[in-house]
Amino acid sequence: MQAIDHHAWTNRWRDWHPLEKLLPALTLLVLTLALPLLSIGPLVLAATVLATVRGAGVPLQTVLSVLAAPAAFLLAGIPFLAISLSFTAGFSLHFSPDGLLLALETSVRALAAASCLTFLILTTPLTDLVPLLRRVGIPAGIVELILLIYRLIFVFTERALTGRQAQAARLGYSGIQRGVRSAGWLAGALFQRALEQARRLEIGLAARGYCGELRVLTPERPLSWPRLTIVMAFVILIGVMGGLLAGGWR
Amino acid sequence: MHIAEGFLPPLHAAAWTVVALPFVIAGARRANRLMQDQPQTKLLLAASGAFAFVLSALKLPSVTGSCSHATGAGLGAILFGPSVMALLGTVVLLFQALLLAHGGLTTLGANVFSLAIVGPWVAYGLLRGTQRLHAPLAVSVFLAAMLGDMATYTVTACQLALAFPDPASGIAGSFIKFISVFAPTQLPLAMIEGLLTVVIVNLLRQYSQDELRDLQTFSRWPAVEAPS
Repeated sequence: MQAIDHHAWTNRWRDWHPLEKLLPALTLLVLTLALPLLSIGPLVLAATVLATVRGAGVPLQTVLSVLAAPAAFLLAGIPFLAISLSFTAGFSLHFSPDGLLLALETSVRALAAASCLTFLILTTPLTDLVPLLRRVGIPAGIVELILLIYRLIFVFTERALTGRQAQAARLGYSGIQRGVRSAGWLAGALFQRALEQARRLEIGLAARGYCGELRVLTPERPLSWPRLTIVMAFVILIGVMGGLLAGGWR
Repeated sequence: MHIAEGFLPPLHAAAWTVVALPFVIAGARRANRLMQDQPQTKLLLAASGAFAFVLSALKLPSVTGSCSHATGAGLGAILFGPSVMALLGTVVLLFQALLLAHGGLTTLGANVFSLAIVGPWVAYGLLRGTQRLHAPLAVSVFLAAMLGDMATYTVTACQLALAFPDPASGIAGSFIKFISVFAPTQLPLAMIEGLLTVVIVNLLRQYSQDELRDLQTFSRWPAVEAPS
């Protein structure tokens, strides 16, 4: 989490308007889902990884480690798509070629889609993305709530890690029974601290005249139309190439 | 275990989003109204949401050696009530997609449905139901958290089975395949989560009556002793 957030704040494309990154990422995601997979998938994967590593200057190792999470899910799920279970003659498991194709398609789609998400989260901090939710009609109060949660997550994570370290140093996790009790105490203590924090924030804000709206300065970042056009041209090129490849495939 | 980005076919991803949407909107409406009535509710909700995220990232003591996480759906439903939990759970899942690359944007709807809607409602229903039968609180909490957890995984298996029916035996066969993968790993985990939730609730009941009373805004919480 720390690594992803760190790169989101420090990469070379940090100062771009968030729409210039969100729009291509979402378009590629939709293209991946809509076009025939085996042609568009590898193209999208290559394009997004290249953009993240070459363009935004995020180390390849980080990109791969972020992609490892969905890849692990695939490894767990894919074998079961290729194996077929039938109860017509008793109970039998057998390998199915249809299932293998489905498994291949699903892994390509999932990896390509995950690479779009990876590109987005490694180049754009959450605080840039969340305000865009207002444009799709989510009330200001909820958006503010989401941003507050984002802020508090890091505070609480640090506390949880410290607490866990302290417990582990006192052999709190030696054995399952003790481990469950320690984890329960940790979570309980964390909850108490969380509510305490909320109360302190409330007092602090009330002293500053808080009445339901948090006013913060957001840096102005104008949307650069030329840049957006170039990026989207690339995305369309990828889509066209994918479509042509799929045509040649048949 | 969240369904990874792009794993579901587009039609399924869209359908689950449509199914989950009304619940999330209802939760958001309720939260928004609460926040407008009392501005300080916003901070309470924010602290609760951040806590839910950290809880879901908390490593459980593992039995099988695999790295395992709590779902937090049971505790969330018990503390905040299922309608607010639908909103908080959605925010947590969004953050897990955007901060940890767990789950994804296209599968957000499917994951919200299993983790933030079905899990909490089952847990809440069980808590209420067993309390009405005058079961000891620890037993209700354990059952609520454990079965809420298992409901979540059953729904996930259903979603995967619907998306990938077995070529020979159809959806039923596929469901058996997926549930048999989940069962051996998730059953012990669900029990551990049940125990963990009992420890947490006991601790809170002993030391945090005031805080629990604050949460009464979200849902009537049976563990608070009636003020005498």
